[in-house]
Amino acid sequence: MALYPLTSNFEGDFVLQLLPVDTENTMDEVAAAAAVHSVGRRVRDRPGCILRVRRQDAQEFFPRTMKVAESGLKPTETVEIIWQAA
Amino acid sequence: MAVLNRMDWYDLARTTNWTPSYVTEDELFPPKLSGDFGLPQNAWEKYDEPYKQTYPEYVKVQRDKDAGAYSVKAALERSRIFENADPGWKSVMKAHYGAIARGEYAAASAEARMMRFSKAPGMRNMSTLGCLDEIRHGQMQLYFPHEHVSKDRQMDWAFKAYDTNEWAMIAARHFFDDIMMTRDAISVSIMLTFSFETGFTNMQFLGLAADAAEAGDHTFANLISSIQTDESRHAQIGGPALKVLIENGQKAEAQKRVDIAVWGAWKLFSVLTGPIMDYYTPLEHRKQSFKEFMEEWIVAQFERALTDMGLDLPWYWDIFLKDIAQTHHGMHLGAYYWRPTLWWNPAAGVTPDERAWLEEKYPGWNDTWGQCWDVFIDNVVDGNMAKAYPETLPYVCNMCQLPILGTPGKGWNVKDYPLEYKGRLYHFGSEVDRWVFEQEPERYAGHLSIVDRFLAGMIQPMDLGGALQYMGLAPGEIGDDAHNYAWAEIYRALRAAKKAS
Ligand SMILES: [Fe+2]
Ligand SMILES: [Fe+2]
Repeated sequence: MALYPLTSNFEGDFVLQLLPVDTENTMDEVAAAAAVHSVGRRVRDRPGCILRVRRQDAQEFFPRTMKVAESGLKPTETVEIIWQAA
Repeated sequence: MAVLNRMDWYDLARTTNWTPSYVTEDELFPPKLSGDFGLPQNAWEKYDEPYKQTYPEYVKVQRDKDAGAYSVKAALERSRIFENADPGWKSVMKAHYGAIARGEYAAASAEARMMRFSKAPGMRNMSTLGCLDEIRHGQMQLYFPHEHVSKDRQMDWAFKAYDTNEWAMIAARHFFDDIMMTRDAISVSIMLTFSFETGFTNMQFLGLAADAAEAGDHTFANLISSIQTDESRHAQIGGPALKVLIENGQKAEAQKRVDIAVWGAWKLFSVLTGPIMDYYTPLEHRKQSFKEFMEEWIVAQFERALTDMGLDLPWYWDIFLKDIAQTHHGMHLGAYYWRPTLWWNPAAGVTPDERAWLEEKYPGWNDTWGQCWDVFIDNVVDGNMAKAYPETLPYVCNMCQLPILGTPGKGWNVKDYPLEYKGRLYHFGSEVDRWVFEQEPERYAGHLSIVDRFLAGMIQPMDLGGALQYMGLAPGEIGDDAHNYAWAEIYRALRAAKKAS
C-alpha cells in the first residue's frame, strides 16, 4: 500500500492530469479514478462502454485486474484511458 | 553656432572600444557575460545598428510620448471606462498588466547586460536607450493600473504577480529567466530582442491596441501603442549581432538560440494572448482571430525577418503552423477550468454566437473543444457546479511550465513527450519543448514544475486551498467566471424551448 502518482491521458479530454493512485489498485480502479477527473466534467459518459488502461503508444491494454505495483509503470508515467465497448 | 548633423559624428562618437592595459580583455568583458562566441573584439566593431539615435534625440522623443500617454489617461480618468467596461475586457487588462509590467522592469536589466558587456559599441548605445525604455514600460504599466487597485483587488496583481508562485507566473518567469536573465549579452540580443520582441511583442501590443480602441478603452490603447514604438526600435538590437555571427561562421549557434526563444515565446502567447483575442474580447470588438494575427505578424512578417537575415525557418515550423490553430483553445479551456488559480476572471466566450464565430475561424471547433464545453455548459445549466471546478492538477510541461494538452473530442490527439534524464522522468508538451531541454539539459534539469513541487510535498495542505495559498491567491483575488455565468442563461432558455416543443 503506497500512494503512487500517475499521469492520466483520458480519451476525448484535452489535457493530461495528475492521477494519484495506490500501488494496490487494479487497472479498472485506475481507470475509474481517472474518470472522476474527466467524465462528466469535459467528457461525456459512454453508456455500454468500459475503460481500459494502456501505456502511451502501446497497442495492448494492461489486464483489468493487474495491480499498479505489477505493471512496471514508473512514478508519473502517462497512461492512456481508452473507451472500449463492453 | 552651427551644429554638426548627427550622421557626421554618430559613428565616431560611439566608437568606444579600446585596448585595455590594466586588465585583460577577458576581465573587461568576461566571456560568460559578453558572449563573444570566440570572436575578436574587432569582429564585434563591425556591428552596425540600423536605428541610430542620439541621447538628446531620445529624450525629446520619449518626453513627447510620455506626455501623450499620460495626458490621455488624465483626460479620461473621470470617464468611468473601467467601471463600465465589459468584465471580459477588465480581465484582458488584469492578465496583461500582471504578466507584463514587472517583466518589463526585469527586461531593463537584460538591456543593461548588453549595455555593459557587449563587445559591440553600437549595441551598447542602442541598449542604453533600450534599458531606459524598459524602465519606462515598467513604471507606466504599474502606474496606469494603480488607479484601479482600490476598486478591484485583482488589479493589485499588476505589481504582485511576478513575485508569486502562481502557475502562469512560474511559466512566464521560466521563459524570461531563460532568454534574458541568464544569458550573455549577445544571446540576449538574439533571444529577447530579435526573437521575442520582433516576433511577438508586436502582436501583443498592436493586436491589443486595436482591440482596446474597439472596446473604447483609449487610455489602454494609447499606453500600449506608446510602448510599442519603443519596442519596435530596440527590437532591432539583435539583427546586426546575428549578421556578425553568421558572417563569422556561427550560424548554427545563432539559429539554435532563435529556435529556442521563438518556441518559448509562442507557448507563452498561446496562454496569454490566445484566450484574450478569441474568448475574452467581446465578440463585436474582435478585429481578427488569434490565428489570423499569428499568420500576419509571425508567419508573414517574422518569416521574412528570418530569411532576410540569412537564417532558416525553425526546424519545427510545420508543427508550429499546425499549433497556431489549436494550442490556445486548450490553453483557454485549461485556464478557465482551473480558474480559481488565476488572478483575473476569465470570460468563457462560448455563447452560441461566439461558438459560431469560433467555428467559422477554426472549422471543427464544435466537434473538438466544443465537445468539452458542451459537458461544462450542461453542468452550469443544471447547477452542478461541483463538476465545473477541478479536483486535481493538470500535468504541466517541464519546459514551458504550461499544461500538456492537445485537441479533444473527435480530433483527440493529446500526447505526452516524456524523457528520462539522470533517473528523473520529465514530461513535455511537445517534441519541441523536449528538444529545447535536450539542447542543454543541465540548464533546465533542476527546475521543479508546479506539479513536481506538489509531489515533493512543498504545497501544503495538498488540496485546492493549499495550492491557492502557495500561489499567493488571497480571498477576493481568486478567479471565477468573468460574467458570473450570466452567459449560460441563453442555454437555459434554449433547453426550455426544446422541452416545450
Ligand atoms: Fe518593453
Ligand atoms: Fe522591450
